[in-house]
Amino acid sequence: MRIRFFTLMVAAATMVAAGAALAMAPGAPAPGFTITDTAGKAVRLADYRGKYVVLEWTNPECPFVRKHYVSGNMQALQKEWGAREVVWLAVNSTNASHPEFKTPAQMSDWIRAQGAAPAATLLDATSATGRAYGAKTTPQMFVVDPAGNVIYQGAIDDRRSANPADAKTANNYVRAALNEALAGKPVTVASTTPYGCSVKY
Amino acid sequence: MPRFRLTGLLRAPRAIARAPALLVLTLAFAISAAGAPVKTPHVEAELVAARTALVPGEPLAVALRLKMEPGWHTYWQNPGDSGLPTTLAWKLPAGVEAGPIEWPAPSLLPVGPLANYGYEGEVLLLADLKPAATLAPGDTLQFNARADWLVCKEICIPEGVDLTLALPVSSNAPLDPRWGAPLAAARAALPQPPIGWRVSAQGAGARVALTLTPPTQASPAAADPGAMHFFPYAEAQIEPSPPQTLSRAGGAYVLTLPVASNLAGGFTRVAGVVTATHGFGANGRAMTIDVPLVGSVVAGAKPAAAVAPALNLVAPVPAADHLTFAVALLFALIGGVILNLMPCVFPVLSIKVLSFATHHDNRRTLRREAAAFAAGVVLTFVALGLTLAALRAAGEQLGWGFQLQSPAVVTALAMLFFVLALNLSGVFEFGQLAPSGVAGWSSQNRALDAFGSGVLVVVIASPCTAPFMGAALGYALAGSAAITLSVFVALGVGMALPYVLLAWFPGWRRRLPRSGPWLIRFKQFLAFPLYATVIWLAWVLGSQRDNDAVLRLFAVLLGVGYALWTWRIVRTGGARPWALSGFAVLTGALVLAWPLFAADTDAAPRAKAAAAAEEADWIAFTPRKVGELTGAGRAVFVDFTAAWCVTCQVNKRLVLNTNDVRAAFADRKVALVRADWTRRDAAITQALAELGRNGVPVYVLYRPGREPLLLPEVLQRQTLLDALATL
Repeated sequence: MRIRFFTLMVAAATMVAAGAALAMAPGAPAPGFTITDTAGKAVRLADYRGKYVVLEWTNPECPFVRKHYVSGNMQALQKEWGAREVVWLAVNSTNASHPEFKTPAQMSDWIRAQGAAPAATLLDATSATGRAYGAKTTPQMFVVDPAGNVIYQGAIDDRRSANPADAKTANNYVRAALNEALAGKPVTVASTTPYGCSVKY
Repeated sequence: MPRFRLTGLLRAPRAIARAPALLVLTLAFAISAAGAPVKTPHVEAELVAARTALVPGEPLAVALRLKMEPGWHTYWQNPGDSGLPTTLAWKLPAGVEAGPIEWPAPSLLPVGPLANYGYEGEVLLLADLKPAATLAPGDTLQFNARADWLVCKEICIPEGVDLTLALPVSSNAPLDPRWGAPLAAARAALPQPPIGWRVSAQGAGARVALTLTPPTQASPAAADPGAMHFFPYAEAQIEPSPPQTLSRAGGAYVLTLPVASNLAGGFTRVAGVVTATHGFGANGRAMTIDVPLVGSVVAGAKPAAAVAPALNLVAPVPAADHLTFAVALLFALIGGVILNLMPCVFPVLSIKVLSFATHHDNRRTLRREAAAFAAGVVLTFVALGLTLAALRAAGEQLGWGFQLQSPAVVTALAMLFFVLALNLSGVFEFGQLAPSGVAGWSSQNRALDAFGSGVLVVVIASPCTAPFMGAALGYALAGSAAITLSVFVALGVGMALPYVLLAWFPGWRRRLPRSGPWLIRFKQFLAFPLYATVIWLAWVLGSQRDNDAVLRLFAVLLGVGYALWTWRIVRTGGARPWALSGFAVLTGALVLAWPLFAADTDAAPRAKAAAAAEEADWIAFTPRKVGELTGAGRAVFVDFTAAWCVTCQVNKRLVLNTNDVRAAFADRKVALVRADWTRRDAAITQALAELGRNGVPVYVLYRPGREPLLLPEVLQRQTLLDALATL
């Protein structure tokens, strides 16, 4: 009796350890959301399951966001990856009670004036989605894979400045993560500290 | 006359005009020599020097002075959740070098739910200019610098200015009348390494406990440092926005730091600046800290994850955090001793004790047996502990009691206990099971038998977590392999201690009546607690699987019992057909048992039976739910429990489900949340890790706006009522 029990214990422990070794370490699941976009449509993250999604936290009043739009860097990224079937969502989590809050009309005017091309611009007026993702700065980027896991989160690039000229020469983390993910490789830089103005909760 | 006057008048303005021009030029020269302040919309910036001249070979303190409009701030070297640190880029003449910025102690600047580290009002960012000794006195050197900063109030504006500072080189440099004293004061106020204070950092779960011990010779009247705050130099280590709670541990101060939600690898040292509102005695208002981080940490919660501080932001400082190694060992020892009294262990242990009471062996044999028993206990504990540590290192979300989260293990334990109970009841003897050769060897090799008993006792003890064990286990599994090993050894020693003591001093045996029918009756009596354990394990299996699994288990036990009984008949000379029937039934039982062993731990949730009225009040645990409830201003009581945890069930029956406790919960509108860890649940394991624990039971009372309370594992009704009374 004793011998059989110990054999069972050993077998159970081996099975568990093997299972742990074989399992991949996934990224954390991206929190779901339903937000109304500037066109009045309800957009859910779950709608895009099966595609890569980039979430760009933005705020037109922030000099760091302006750096990437004045230089044309953000628009170029949106067009480059939109053409490769990556869903690019711009999210503005400025709280409705904050002076910098933009109405849907103001936000869509600004997007159009910048020549930007996100798939949708989401107004997170209650800031709930910003809190759920722990978004601290604008800009801050999250890349979500088709299974719904966050494979990159953090800064857009490695030049922490408000100088538009730096956007061209910096190492862009979002492009790097998407290139690796679409080639089927694991993302080497999965998390960086973001830089920018604070999100206006 | 008028013409002369006119000419005079005409000539005079030019002379008068020239004088102010000269004055302005002189002033401009003077200002630019000192570095005229440059004004941007919200900041006034200039370069100032402590002395009026440079002495070759002697460093000179200079500073970037930033005066910000009220409400606007600039940033420290680690800006916190957002922002950019101020930078100063020098263009220096030959023969002079400049040192880096020496940052004054920052302030905590909350921005909604986020936080920045920086400066408001006016700040002097010091730097040293180091002129070579070979410079020739008499020249005037021009120092240019580009200063860039981000200044924010609600909006952020990046600004940058070119500044200049002109200084003559001279062998004599008096203090600057305007800036000498302020720069000296700023230099004196810079954070310095602690003198007399001892600092250490211990990490557990999602928190780091920074312990600051004041100098021992400090007078009792030494001022309380007041409120403290720690500012790390590096990002992605400590989360800037959650509060850092301060508590006392004896004479030392313990500051609890929340680990960053985006924790980066390589967090092995805690380095930064700690400030105190009343100062650290002779050390001033701020000290620099650079100590190794002992223990391991996990990433904490996101800053704005919930409306109010969520489950993991403001964590209690439970006993496990303050455990030193020695105390953890002591707790483990005591816990091990108490384990002997737990219903899992007590019956079998009593039989062991009685068996050597009735075998009149000499002391030496007894002592050898006791030592072998102790060895069995200790080694099995160590093996279990190392297995758990290895599996956790491999990424499994497991805690103590992990073996019972598997239906296969529960089935096996139920079978084991049943067999032991049958033995006590007299259905068979172990000697009859084995062929006579092995039985004889076993009785001769009593030491080996005792070792095996030690192993068995630990195996059947594992479902029971004794008081004190919880904190000791939390400490053990958070530490290095050596620490884990030592604590588990202490557990084993504690558990074996009573038996060893009884064997070492067998004088008490004389008090017992001689072996007789009372012994047999006592043995048979002790079978009943073991049967009760089998029933409980069957209930656990039912919680993990369903009613059919329980039926299956009972059928298997029936088969095993029958097989053992027929085996006894055969061994005592019964006929062959008995043996065949026994064998057939046993085979049938094992086949029937197979699905129980092959069960997947994380099988699809079974259909829940209707909950009892008592259970209906309890909400299932998710961290978000707790955050929502505390955010709505309600107190939350979280019961981390599991079906296989005996202490949990006892507490539930004796305390949680009693009328006066339920009434107290209802009176104060306490939300009741149950975290059921009967089967593996990564979210609950994570939540336990953040509380510094890895086993159940754990009871936490979250009080809105205040520190949560961790209640003891052996829950007393009065303790709980007292805790609720603090709401």
